Amino acid sequence: MKNEKAAKIIDKALKQGRKTLSEYEAKQVLAAYGIPVTKEVLARDKTALEKGLKKIGFPLVMKGCSADIAHKTEKGLIHVDIRTATEAKKAFREILAGMEGYEGGVLMQEMIKGRRELVMGLTRDPQFGPCVMFGLGGIFTEILRDVAFRRAPLEIRDAKEMMQEIKGRKILDAVRGMEAADQKMLVDMLISVGRIGLDFDDIMEIDLNPVILSGSKPVVVDALIVLK
Amino acid sequence: MKASLDFEEESFFQGNTAILTAAIRKEEMIKSIKESPLYSIVNPRSIAFFGASNNFLRMGSIMLSSVQELGYEGKIYPVHQKEKQVRGLTAYRSIMDLPEVPDLAVIVLPTAIVCRTLEECGKKGIRHAIIVSGGFREAGPEGAALQKEMEAVARQYGIRFLGPNCLGIANPYIKLNPTTLTAEGPPGFVGLASQSGSFITQMFDYLHRNGMGFSAALSVGNEASIDIVDCLEYLGVCPNTKVITLYIEGITRGEAFVRAAKNIIRRKPIVALYVGGSEAGKHAGRSHTGSLSGPNEIYDGVFRQCGIIRAQSLTEMFDYALALGTLPKPKGNRVIIQTHSGGPGATAADACGRAGLRLPPLSAQTVEKLQPMIPRTASTANPLDLTYSLNSAESFFDIPDLLLGDPNADMLLAYFLSPGIFVDRILREMGVSEEEIPKTRNKMLIDHAEAFRSLVKRHPDKPIVGFTYRSLQEGMVRYLLDRAIPIYQDPERAARAMAAVLQYHRVRESIATSDV
Repeated sequence: MKNEKAAKIIDKALKQGRKTLSEYEAKQVLAAYGIPVTKEVLARDKTALEKGLKKIGFPLVMKGCSADIAHKTEKGLIHVDIRTATEAKKAFREILAGMEGYEGGVLMQEMIKGRRELVMGLTRDPQFGPCVMFGLGGIFTEILRDVAFRRAPLEIRDAKEMMQEIKGRKILDAVRGMEAADQKMLVDMLISVGRIGLDFDDIMEIDLNPVILSGSKPVVVDALIVLK
Repeated sequence: MKASLDFEEESFFQGNTAILTAAIRKEEMIKSIKESPLYSIVNPRSIAFFGASNNFLRMGSIMLSSVQELGYEGKIYPVHQKEKQVRGLTAYRSIMDLPEVPDLAVIVLPTAIVCRTLEECGKKGIRHAIIVSGGFREAGPEGAALQKEMEAVARQYGIRFLGPNCLGIANPYIKLNPTTLTAEGPPGFVGLASQSGSFITQMFDYLHRNGMGFSAALSVGNEASIDIVDCLEYLGVCPNTKVITLYIEGITRGEAFVRAAKNIIRRKPIVALYVGGSEAGKHAGRSHTGSLSGPNEIYDGVFRQCGIIRAQSLTEMFDYALALGTLPKPKGNRVIIQTHSGGPGATAADACGRAGLRLPPLSAQTVEKLQPMIPRTASTANPLDLTYSLNSAESFFDIPDLLLGDPNADMLLAYFLSPGIFVDRILREMGVSEEEIPKTRNKMLIDHAEAFRSLVKRHPDKPIVGFTYRSLQEGMVRYLLDRAIPIYQDPERAARAMAAVLQYHRVRESIATSDV
């Protein structure tokens, strides 16, 4: 039951001999599996930029988007909280210049507001096959390593337990005036990440980091899919 | 319109296949140990023994001597090229000379002649073997090639075997111990499948001292023919095994392992010790997920997923096994602690808190009934501290009986301090003669132990656990350990074991309900 749209994107990347999908492609794969991602447009020229501004609105995040570029923050390829068309055009020029000729474009996406960042992911274990990860996201992923794993396919029970297993589990509760996270959505997302791993043997790793809680709703803000 | 119809049909079809696959998978699970390739290895009626001689210092001789020592009642046929007798048994020059086809061959020979011997066993009609000899896959490319040859021979003759490079099995129920060390203590309820041979032969005394014994112990070695999943399945249906313990360094058949464990967990608990590496990030992943997915983290997740309780040490694994093999299912996590000393009680309370257990207050009616039995200085809080008590009969029966009857209690944790040496002193002071002292002391301790033990029948749905800082081998504690009352040498260990029992029953229910 491979999703056809996702299969097309992955096949294309494999045919081009690529080891990763671009963020834009990765999110299309995720969206094809019903995983909520940021509303976004990939702009390669000024006409597309204008269209994007109309479609996404402000505030806006703009990122250099190419399968070949990692560490976008360090290279100055991410501009956040863009509030006017003038700012957007300036950012567009700077990002394209910073991409130093890499194939790609500028990803324009809605800016998700939320103070709680989660991580979801997938890794292919040599013995157990695709395993799904859940944990604290953003900078805390590497600092606290507060994560839990389950082998795909996940049952609802597994996904719920993963959320209860991390030390920072209270981040999902109603805390400091923030709403409790929509656990059902999180469960569905984790199950879907596992399903992608089962459907595509060519996917070695997936990183959804951060997944930001916008109010109670989780949204994938950045995504990486690593191929075989 | 057309497209969506197709989609629906396809998903309907997929759904049916999934159900079908699930049904086939359930079918695959063995229902009796007789269906297991391990059956004749663990329960042989006759054994051909290769590698034992009259030189006791040879490993094969030591292993045969262990078999004789425990009193195995089946037939043993030593095979030896020169000796007429080996360790008092008639020896045979060739496997072909044996008067019957034995159920099992135990091979403890030099690497170079193992394959040839296995082939002769095949020709004789033997279908099961334990290959103790090393020098195969674990010893580099040449050894790996030899192991391939061995596997080919086994396939040709339909032989299933444990090893190579293993210590085989121990089955105390049929007095069979072909491992190196002496089997100590009676048979028990702990099944062990181990990727280290040492643990099946070096744990007899440890288990006995702590109130347990093996139902069957299996060492898998290089897993050329039978692997740890086969062992898990065997122990899952082994009627003598109440708790399965696993020592794991790495699993090859990941999916089969998960399937077997999830199935078994509905019937009996599994405790596993995994020691494959606690440092994450061996995996040179390009993603955060990749770099965080060390084997330790993955095993942790997989164990939880199939309801396996993970132990962090061998001590912890067997501590959990003792509680899981003896205690009934608790209704909840509320523990009442009985002590007659402040410190041990407070330590126990602290340990329970850390283990996620709760200490409820005693109910008003319990407090009222307790008043006449306890000194005025005693506290009726939880832990219930009896302080210095003159009436030991009450503290081993009446008081714990009241506590177990308390509607607030799901479990009882009792402090044990009944040193025989101290009882002797009291008896001496009371004027009991020296020769009467041991008899009187033993009778007294056994009476108390029996009274305490009777609580299990009176409160069948409430786990009763003890802890002591004295030796577990002292009269009363030993007596209770021998009769399936778990007593630990530290309240921390007791509390964690009680929490493991709760964890098992919770996960069992959760797995059972998520199936529907």
